[in-house]
Formats: sequence, structure tokens, C-alpha cells
Amino acid sequence: MKQRLSLMYLSFILIISSRESSSSIPSNSFIGIPPQDEDYFKREIIKCKNGSKKFTKAQLNDDFCDCPDGTDEPGTSACPLGKFYCKNIGHAPSFQYSSRVNDGICDCCDGSDEYDGKVKCPYTCHEAGKVAMESLKRKIEVYQEGVILRKVEIGLAKRAIARDKAELSGLKNEREVVEKVVHQLEGQVRKLEQEPQEKDDKMREARNEKVENEESGPDKNVDSQIEPMKASDVEKQGQAGESLSDQNEKDEHESSEGLSREELGRLVESRWTGKKSGEQVEETDPVKNDQEEGGPDAEYEESVADNAGRSSTAQYKIGVQDLKNSSDIATPSGKSWLDKIQETAQNFLQSVNFFSIPVANLDANKIRKEYNHYTAKLSDLESRISSLTEKLKFDFGKQNEFYLFYDRCFELKQDKYVYKVCPFRNATQEDGSSETQLG
Amino acid sequence: MKMKQVAFLFLIFLASQTVHSWKKDEFRACDQTPFCKRARFRKPGACTLIAHDVSISDGDLTAKLIPKAPHDQDQDQIKPLTLSVSVYQDGIMRLKIDEDPSLDPPKKRFQVADVVVSEFETKKLWLQSASAEKINGDDGGLSSVVYLSDGYEAVLRHDPFEVYVREKAGNRRVVSLNSHGLFDFEQLRVKKEDEDWEERFRGHTDTRPYGPQSISFDVSFYGSDFVYGIPEHASSFALKPTRGPGVEESEPFRLFNLDVFEYLHESPFGIYGSIPFMVSHGKSGQSSGFFWLNAAEMQIDVLAKGWDAEGGILMPTEQSRIDTFWMSEAGIVDTFFFVGPGPKDVVKQYVSVTGLPAMPQLFSTGYHQCRWNYRDEEDVENVDSKFDEHDIPYDVLWLDIEHTDGKRYFTWDKMLFPHPEEMQRKLAAKGRHMVTIVDPHIKRDESFHLHKDASQRGYYVKDATGKDYDGWCWPGSSSYPDMLNPEIRSWWAEKFSYDNYVGSTPSLYIWNDMNEPSVFNGPEVTMPRDALHLGGVEHRELHNAYGYYFHMATAEGLLKRGDGKDRPFVLSRAFFAGSQRYGAVWTGDNSADWDHLRVSVPMVLTLGLTGMTFSGADVGGFFGNPEPELLVRWYQLGAYYPFFRGHAHHDTKRREPWLFGERNTALMRDAIRIRYTLLPYFYTLFREANVSGVPVVRPLWMEFPSDEAAFSNDEAFMVGNSLLVQGIYTARAKHVSVYLPGKESWYDLRTGTAYKGGKVHKLEVSEESIPAFQRAGTIVPRKDRLRRSSTQMVHDPYTLVIALNSSQAAEGELYVDDGKSYDFKHGAYIHRRFVFSNGHLTSSPVGNSRFSSDCIIERVILLGFTPGAKTALVEPGNQKAEIELGPLRFGGQHAAVAVTIRKPGVRVAEDWKIKIL
Repeated sequence: MKQRLSLMYLSFILIISSRESSSSIPSNSFIGIPPQDEDYFKREIIKCKNGSKKFTKAQLNDDFCDCPDGTDEPGTSACPLGKFYCKNIGHAPSFQYSSRVNDGICDCCDGSDEYDGKVKCPYTCHEAGKVAMESLKRKIEVYQEGVILRKVEIGLAKRAIARDKAELSGLKNEREVVEKVVHQLEGQVRKLEQEPQEKDDKMREARNEKVENEESGPDKNVDSQIEPMKASDVEKQGQAGESLSDQNEKDEHESSEGLSREELGRLVESRWTGKKSGEQVEETDPVKNDQEEGGPDAEYEESVADNAGRSSTAQYKIGVQDLKNSSDIATPSGKSWLDKIQETAQNFLQSVNFFSIPVANLDANKIRKEYNHYTAKLSDLESRISSLTEKLKFDFGKQNEFYLFYDRCFELKQDKYVYKVCPFRNATQEDGSSETQLG
Repeated sequence: MKMKQVAFLFLIFLASQTVHSWKKDEFRACDQTPFCKRARFRKPGACTLIAHDVSISDGDLTAKLIPKAPHDQDQDQIKPLTLSVSVYQDGIMRLKIDEDPSLDPPKKRFQVADVVVSEFETKKLWLQSASAEKINGDDGGLSSVVYLSDGYEAVLRHDPFEVYVREKAGNRRVVSLNSHGLFDFEQLRVKKEDEDWEERFRGHTDTRPYGPQSISFDVSFYGSDFVYGIPEHASSFALKPTRGPGVEESEPFRLFNLDVFEYLHESPFGIYGSIPFMVSHGKSGQSSGFFWLNAAEMQIDVLAKGWDAEGGILMPTEQSRIDTFWMSEAGIVDTFFFVGPGPKDVVKQYVSVTGLPAMPQLFSTGYHQCRWNYRDEEDVENVDSKFDEHDIPYDVLWLDIEHTDGKRYFTWDKMLFPHPEEMQRKLAAKGRHMVTIVDPHIKRDESFHLHKDASQRGYYVKDATGKDYDGWCWPGSSSYPDMLNPEIRSWWAEKFSYDNYVGSTPSLYIWNDMNEPSVFNGPEVTMPRDALHLGGVEHRELHNAYGYYFHMATAEGLLKRGDGKDRPFVLSRAFFAGSQRYGAVWTGDNSADWDHLRVSVPMVLTLGLTGMTFSGADVGGFFGNPEPELLVRWYQLGAYYPFFRGHAHHDTKRREPWLFGERNTALMRDAIRIRYTLLPYFYTLFREANVSGVPVVRPLWMEFPSDEAAFSNDEAFMVGNSLLVQGIYTARAKHVSVYLPGKESWYDLRTGTAYKGGKVHKLEVSEESIPAFQRAGTIVPRKDRLRRSSTQMVHDPYTLVIALNSSQAAEGELYVDDGKSYDFKHGAYIHRRFVFSNGHLTSSPVGNSRFSSDCIIERVILLGFTPGAKTALVEPGNQKAEIELGPLRFGGQHAAVAVTIRKPGVRVAEDWKIKIL
């Protein structure tokens, strides 16, 4: 039915082809105007929308541009800034640039942009509508999946937060106890102190350093609880691994004399390609799995901003970053453990006290050792507390749904670059050996 | 803190090192080039040759050149050389000097074939007689004088020998050769036992089996203040002296086609192409020209005034002049003297020898989008659709080397481009075209049919030992077809048929790169000079023409593909005299900096002056990332290059016009739109070039030959005779000084404001456009409607912009044809002449044309017209058209208005008259 109508319309246009065949004036002077604007154009004298000028009803869609902003020619190509409205019944209405009107290419699915009879546009709105509906449905599905994922994350986050908070308060208690112990030991140490203070300070410094180093062990807590993010929406079609040819290392600035003919060829070629001849890309990232060999020609292309959405050529990798905030002391298993510390410390102090002054050198060393041990423990506790406090300060979304992202990093491989985003931390672009921080 | 400063300084140092990455050491300077070094040491008057046996034979003036006094130590007994002077219509003299073939030289010296067009020979004037004359100041020696044209004579002075062209009346000289006695011709000879002819340069050995064979001579241009031409160099348009008083140690201008990595923006060093044609111009408003048809390495000195002060040679004339010194490694003397006298006459004379520029397809005069590389079909589709999304017109999408299967040209990477035909059809459905790259290096891979075929047929250039020359380029080990051989060119041309080039469609055209030829492991990144071509011709003898033959063969391939009906489009990087017949060229791998933007103008002007009118520079600069302001300025300038293409290296960030924020997108879109509105004007200019050789983009002095202030101006240029354009060459410019030549006014294209001619105007710089003006007294045809590409503009109506001069008159032309076929050669075109005077605009035909068009004139804009009139009467039909104030142009923020005749509705193909009432 619709098709027949548009055919009739076309033949009608053909019949009335005027003297000015090249710049056909539409039969319907309201063509290209959206329904909500029709009233605006019903007056005898109409204003250009930018106020620059006025025009008469006869000048509306008369295929001559009077308004620089295109107000008077919504239905023709006369104004470069004009917009053509297609009704697209069966699908969604749309605006087209005036450059599309009667340009021989069907842009509106109802074919209304081509009315000069030079081309016949099939009526495709119903099909297009269907396709659009499908894709909308798919979008909704993806959204719903996302909602479910989000719920899961929120649940996990809740638990994780509760756990972290509990840990935090436990740690704070523990700190109090250990502080006390340290105080007591400190008193002992001062009493014992015969040697110059300096030496002691140095030792303490050295120990503290050691402690800091120890802190950077793997975080078992975090590791065990986080599952890799599901990347169902990510196409795994990786592309374009870097396969650099096996060239011999040669400095650009070295004299080219004495090179083999092939070496010289590669050396000069490398100026344009930007590859150092002979350079091998180092596989610095252990997470990287099966490097795919892209077409040998695709490799060095940098694809950039406008490519970001092209998931088909991208490869996502998700991994858990080992973080510095881990600690091997934080296993809050209740009071018994704390009690134990107190006990041991007290026992120790008592045992030392059995001996009268002057205390033998051996005991002094023991006390110092114990003192250092607990100082170290205390500083461990403090750093864990501060990192947990720091972590809990972040905004993890309305329902803390991103809480578990704190310790995670995401990788995207684009040709020769690996992009790595660690939420709440940093983003980098790695190119073989060099790494660039992204803002 | 100190450490940081040091580190920072070190970083700056490193950065500056990478900026100057031109590897000067890898290229031969004159003093590392024996023939150049020897020639430069020659003293004026060193030539002792005299013309002997002067006579007329076969319509030429002929003579033998012999030493005046036989040498005493006579080991290098110089055999007589043959000399002939021929004259041709329109004021062209040809002088040839070669070894005498009857004296059995060891080898025939190479004469460049297939450059001089066959029609040229039909223009030869057969000389009947020569008159012997004693010319004042010549010490009573004799000269033979022959007719050249109505106002000019050719003169051969016998002792010492000198050849020149002079005006008939008053004996004023125009161009002369050997006036300073620097002529030298190293004859081929047998090697002496103690001689070593080999030359070594940076580990490369040139066996030089034929020994020294160079030629050098001096050429003087009279009545001349500046000389121009001899591309390709990145340097000023007016050539600076390279030797003589006041000139610091400098290289001569070198002509040697080379693939120079990151060339400098100011250097006499030779780059991708060579045209040994020089034009002179002077205060008298007169021009002359000199062309040496020789494809070996050439070096040319422009000599500063007073260079010969110690030489003691007194020139027999008081005329101001510029002396030049020409040196070539091999070949013969085959030179052409052009008398002018106007600048356009010189160009016409030159193209009557080397051929008229090809008429391009209309689509190729639009905007081209290129990048190394659009990586796959999805990328192509995405870029294409972004142009539509942003309503930016473009005509051609380009694919660089990565689209091939392992740099085997004529193939496609099956992973990235699995459906090349479909991809091209999708573009073609929007009226767009595609260009793929085809380079001359063929991958030496037995499984590659092209290589197998070429090696079996023996079609490759041979090395000095006679084996197929094996060089290194993109595909690795590669060989190069011998394009000197017509049979091989024809074999190559066949490769472009739809059957042979699988995946090609009629909307696919070609780009020839690396055809200098570039050889990564060759001496100076090119082919060894002792490599061998057809008939034992050494590569040194034809080097500068290799790319030309390759370009020719490719263009012929496209012509064959379309049964001779479709005009080829082939872009080439290397070129030689005559390349204008085969397509477009660009200025190669420039850089994204303001200096390269600036130098693109003299480079394009020089190419236009020497016949190569269809040229442009990579918009944005090939190497490096342009800041958005530079990119915008480059689009604004590039929109006026004859060839308008954006291109970028693969290590640069993407830079398609929509990637720099809304404002910059709008600015770039507007720049590209300006080009599209002016396409009817550009196409008319391409037709003018096609019939006369007068370039699309021309120096100011070509339109204003007597305006001295314009002679060395190369920051502004003319597009045709109507528009003057000046780039903005600095960042954040606030003001710019623009010189507007002539007596008439100029109208700002953007604002319509009138400026007086004959003075420098200090203008405020707008972000929206670069300064561009229409000259009073001209009419420019436009198409103001915006489309996706030039294809959809075919039926769109025209706007005529009339800029009235002080007598309220103006004139202009419009040329239209089908935009693609050769039917125009049989009259299928519209060529109109528009004249406005006494308030009447008339359209009348130029020539006898038969082409129909349904296009009308929708708008006539009058600049410099006193408003008041309300109506115009259109004849025939006596219909009325309103006159009102209408927009001067669409787009941009400036809402300038001008007197406009609304909808006269006349047809562009018909005669009509519009009378303002």
C-alpha cells in the first residue's frame, strides 16, 4: 500500500517536471518540515529562525536560499545549512542534511528525500524499523544483563565492605594492644640504654625499611575473593599482534658502511616505519596469552581515538593487580591471638625482670630484639589501617557497586600498544618497553 | 635541581637531534661528485671550441665544433662535435650538440625518448638560409643568423662559439648559451691503463665502465631580475644565487630524483622529481625560458651578480642579466630556448615541446582523504560514514601499502580487505572513488605471478654484471621493471585490466609512489648508476626519467582499462619534464610544521610554472602531529592547491577533520566546502591549463608581469586570473600583511570588503579563513549547494560572483563537460564567456560546443555594485528577476551580504542576457 502510494507520488512529480528541471521545486511546500513546526510556516511572512531576515510564504521551499540558516528551504538542497525532515512511517522520523535532498541517494527510509524523479527509492521503513527494534531489544537485554551483574557486584561489595570494616576495627584494637606493649618495651629499652642513641636510631631505620619491603608481598585476601570480570560483551577476536621481523640490531647513527645489503635496506626502511631494525618487542606482560599473528601488514598501524569503539580488533584482558597494600599480619582471627601477644610479651618482660641490675648484655639484646619486633608489627598495622581507610574513602558508586574494582586492572590491546586501566589508580599506554601515563 | 636542569637540556638536545633527521652525509654534495666538482672549477673562457662548417642542412643550421688550436699534448684529441639549431613555431629554438656518430664513438649517448611530443616536430620551420653577420663587439668574427619568429632571430657566433636568441629590432638579447666560455663536453673514450674510473661513495661502488662523460655550460637570461623553475626543491620561488659575491658556501640546485627522508624546508638539495626548465622574468615585464632535455644527474648554479668579475669576459650588452651554470653527468645537449615574451607565452612554448597537462576527471579536483593506512574494510567504512555524519564532502578514499598482501602490488590483504570490490562499490554508490598504491618495486617471490612473469621475460633492470638488479624496498628483496622499454610499459599497462588486477573496479584509480626509484639499500637510497636498461643504457643516463616512464605506463594502463574512454587518474611522486601529460604529483613526505606549510606554496608555484599544474602538498604534513591550529590553516590553504589531499604517516595520531573538537571540525569543513563551491572555477582553470599549459595556481607576476613588487612574492598566489590567496604561516597570528597587485580593487571572499590594489594591506587575521580575494573585473562561477561529493553536484545550479572594476565591468568563463570521458575532444563541452558591462550580463559561447546540461544559474552576486535597482530583466523570455541583498556565501559565522539577482533561472548552456533595470 505504502509502496504504491510512493510510486504514485513519484510519477506525479515526473509529470509536472517544470522548465527548471534541475532545481525541482517540491509539489508540497511543507515537505521537509517536522509536524511540530508546521504552524510556524503557516504565516504569510515568515522569519528566518536566526532572525536575520523575513521571507514570504511563496519563498518557502522555492529552491532558493533566502535565510543563511536554511529556515526557508527545509525541503530542498538550496541552503547548505538546511535540515530535511523525513516522516519515515514504520520507523523513527529523522533529519537529513540538505545536502542529501535529491542527490540521487536514498537517505530517508521513506524515500522522501528523493522526489525529483531521478531515482526511485524503495520504501524500507518497515524493514528498518524491524532491524532497529531488534537492536533496541538487544540493547535492552544487554542492559538487563548489566543490571544483574551490577546487583551481584553490589552484593559482593557489601560483604567486602563489611569484611574490610570489621578488619579495620579489629586492626585498630590490635594497634592499641601492640602500642601498649611497645610502650612497655620502650621503657625497658631506655633503662637498658647505655650506648649512644645514634646507633639505635640507625638500626631502627634499617628495620623499618626492611618492614616496608616485606609489605609488598602478594595479597592473598584480595586474590582469593575476586573472580575475573565476565567479559561476555567483549569480542575476543584479537587482531594484529606485533610480529617484528628478525632484524639485526644496528644503531641508526652508525655508519652504514660495512653493512650487508639486506641490513642496509632494513636500516633505511626503518626510518619510515619507525621500527628500529632488529628491535624485538619484549613481551613484558606475563598475562598476555596467545599472541596472534595479524596480517604481516597490519602491525604498525596506530589506531587511535576514533577507533576506540571497534571492539572487534581489540583484545581485552582482565587481571588482578598485585597491590602494595597487602599485609601478612592481618589475619583477624579473634581475641585469642591478641591475648597471645599480650601474654608472650608479659612473660618475656617478667622473665627479664627476674634478673637484677645490671642486666647482662644478652638480655639487653633480647629486649631490643623484642622491642624491634613489636615496633615493626605496629608499623605494619598502621600501614594496613591507613590503606584500608584510604580505600574506604573512595566513591564506589551509589551502591558501592564498583568496590571490587579497587584492586583490579583492565587491559586492552590495540595493535602495538597495550592500554591498561586500573580504576581508582592510573591508566597507562605500554609500547613494548616504554610506558606512558595517560591522564 | 641542577641535575634536573641538565637532564632537561639534554632532552631538548635529543629533541633537536630528531628534528634534523635529514641524513646529509648520505647524499652526495657537489664536491663529492667528481663531474660537479670539476665543472665548478672551470674558469670563464676555458672553452676553445669554434663553429666550423656552418651550413643549412635538412632545414637546420648545422656546424661542427672543433678546438680552435689543436692540442699540443694531443692524447685527448677532441673529435669534432655536431651542432644543430632548429627553429619551431611560436618562438622556440632547439640546440643540439652531440658526438658525431660517423666518427664511431664507443657508445651512443642517451637521448631522452618519449618526452618531446610528436606534434612538436610538425611545428618545425624549415630554414632555407642563414645570413652571415659581423656583430659589433665580436672582434670582427662572423655570426650566422637565422629566422626564429616574427620578432626574433637565432644567432650562432662562430669564434668562440656561442648560441643565442635576440630580438630582431635593436639587437636585444633574450637567452644565450656559452657566452662565458664555460662549455665543456667530456667525450667518451677508451680507458687508459693507469686510469681508475670507479667511484665510491659510502660503501657503494659505481663501476663507471664508460668513464667521464659530463657536460656543462653557462646560460644567460637577459632583461632578467629573477629566475624560477627547475623543480623539485624545497626552497623559495625566486631562485637564490648559489655562487658568487655575497653567497656563502652553497650547493648548486641539484636535480636528482631521490626519496629523501624528512627533507628540509629550505635547501637546494634535489628531492623526488626533476624538470630542467628555468624561467626568467624582469622589470620589462618580459619572460624567457630555457629547457635542457637531459635525464642524468644535473646540478645548476644561479650565479650572483659579479661572479665573473675576474674572468675578464666582457658581455657585449648593457642589459641586466642573470647567469646560470648547468652541469650534467651524462647525455647530450638537447636544449630549447623560449622567447616569451609574456610569462604565459613561455609556459605555452614549453608545453608545446613537452605536452599539455592532462584534463583531470572532475572527481579528482575534489578533496582526497588518505592515510598510511586505512587498515581494513571496517576502517574504510567508518571513515567514509564519518564524512557523511559531519556533512563534509570528499571524493576519494586512499589505501596505502598496507592494503596489499605483503607489499605485492595488485593484490589485497585477505584478512583486512576480503571484499575489495564490495568496498569500492559501496563508495561508488555515494559517488566516491578509491585509490590504491602501486609502486615499481616488485617483490622477489617466486610464488608472486608478477615477479615470475617479469623475471622470466627478462623485464627487470639489470645490474652492472647483467643479472636482474636486486634491491631492497617495502617488500624486502625487490626488482624493478625496465620502464624505458615500450614493450615493458605495455606489459605493465595490461596489469591494470579488471581481469589482471583482481578486486579492482571502475571506480578505482592509482597512486605511484617510490618511483624515483627508491631503493633502501642503494647508493643515496636509489638505484646504482651503473645498472642497465634497454639497449645498454646506463641508469645514470636516465635516472631522473625513470619515475616518469613508470607514471606513463600506469596512466596508459588505466586508459587501456577503460577502452580509451575514461581519463586516468594517477598520482606520482617522481616526475620529469612531460609528467603533466600523465597525471598529478605531490610534494612527497613533508612534515607537520609551519615551515613546511609555508614552503608548499613556492613548491606548488614552481611545479605549475614548469608544466606540472596538478600538484599539491600533503595537508597536515606527512611526518609528525600537527597542532589543530596548523591543521586548520593547512586545510584553509590546501583548499586552493590544485591537488587537495590530506595524508599522514602511520605513527601519527589520526587526524580526520572531525577529531579536534566541534569548532575545528567546523573550520575544516568550511575550508573543504569552499573548495567544493569553487569546483566549477577550478575545473574551468584545469581546462585552461589543458589547452594552454597556463597553470591553475600561478605566481602573482604571471597576472601582473610589470608589477615588480610581485616578482619575489611567494607567500601569496593566484588561482586563475581572478583569485588571490595568501596562507597564514604562523601560530596565533593576529595580523598579516598582504600585497594586492595591480590598479583595480580586490574583494575579500569572506566579507565582501573592497581593498585597493597596488599596496600592502595590514589585515586582521580571522580564524575562519585565510586571506583570499577576488580581483575586480572578474566573474567567478560557483556551486553553492553542499553535497557528499562532486558527483552529486552535477545537476546543481550555479552562482556567478561578479566583482566589478572601476568602470563597472567584469568578465569570466565557465567550462563544463561530462567530467570523465574524452568526449570533450569532440566538442562535447560547454564553454561560456560571461561579460558584464553597462548593467548587462551576457553569456556567449566560446568555440563550437555540443553538450547539454540542465543546470541553471540560480544566483548572480554583484560586488562593487551600487545598490538601488530592484529588478532585472532576463532575455530571452523577458522574465523579471528580483534584486535584493543576499548572503555572500553560506557557512562560517560571518553573515556578509551583497547585491544579488535572485533566481534569474537562465540555463548555463544557452545564450542569454540579464539587464539590470
